[in-house]
Amino acid sequence: MGELLAAPVTVTVTAEGSQRYAQAVGDLNPIYFDEAAARAAGYRTLVVPPTYVAYALVQGRPLAGIGTDGLFGGEKSIRLEVARIMFGGEEWDFIAPVHVGDVVTGEARLTAIDQKDGSKGPFVRITREITYRTGDGEVVARTRQIGIAR
Amino acid sequence: MNAAGQLYANELELGAVLPVVLRHASRVQLFLYSAATWNPHRIHYDVDYARFEGHPDVIVHGPLQGAWLSQYVTEWAGPAGRMRSLQWQNRASALPEQDYEFHGRVTAIEGEFVTLEVWEQDRAGMVLMPGVAVVQLPLRSEG
Repeated sequence: MGELLAAPVTVTVTAEGSQRYAQAVGDLNPIYFDEAAARAAGYRTLVVPPTYVAYALVQGRPLAGIGTDGLFGGEKSIRLEVARIMFGGEEWDFIAPVHVGDVVTGEARLTAIDQKDGSKGPFVRITREITYRTGDGEVVARTRQIGIAR
Repeated sequence: MNAAGQLYANELELGAVLPVVLRHASRVQLFLYSAATWNPHRIHYDVDYARFEGHPDVIVHGPLQGAWLSQYVTEWAGPAGRMRSLQWQNRASALPEQDYEFHGRVTAIEGEFVTLEVWEQDRAGMVLMPGVAVVQLPLRSEG
């Protein structure tokens, strides 16, 4: 537990990636698209949707690593023989806004694996915590993602 | 969206109910969300595979519903509001081409910090995704 799941990833947040995400969600808040609107709302420049930071850091991977379910091979230490994996939820802390142009580093750690009894039988709950920092080391966001494996 | 303008923490009442917002995902939106998030999971675009995993159809991504919840809270909070935390549980799957309702109510107010109970339910009232948000709102000064 607490083990790093992969090497930390660092990216520069782009308007293109943020705006594609916002459009795919259907969230057309002008603070994501219009610099003047972002400034009027008290931000220094365009900001990104709060949950976008998780996707800004997703790295493209070769197709050869994709399994039958379409997912890329399991991360180190959570390779499980299961029929299916579902997204169980998330717990975000938004400490400071993330702006377009920010350099953000994300670090994912495995924080819990426990077995639970649900209405549809037993399942395994995998919790990983990802911490996002800007270039100066300031923590801007943190999330705990819950994966459900059956 | 709050048409009346910015909300202020000291003008809210405990138990206040947020306006209901309807959301609906087309299959095209699911595809675009998969693309925008580099998510190749087949349960979101391959009906045969989704059925093989026991789903009735392709299903709406849990994090997409989470992003809708985030949007529900930030639109309510207005431009001067700041969402400080948001948690949710994806308890049941949502399907494309169906309407889902977002609901919320104010459960605590401490200074500028307002806690909301928020959730997504289907049209029959089954809760798919319960959540909690904390929002920081400005205070309206007196006089």
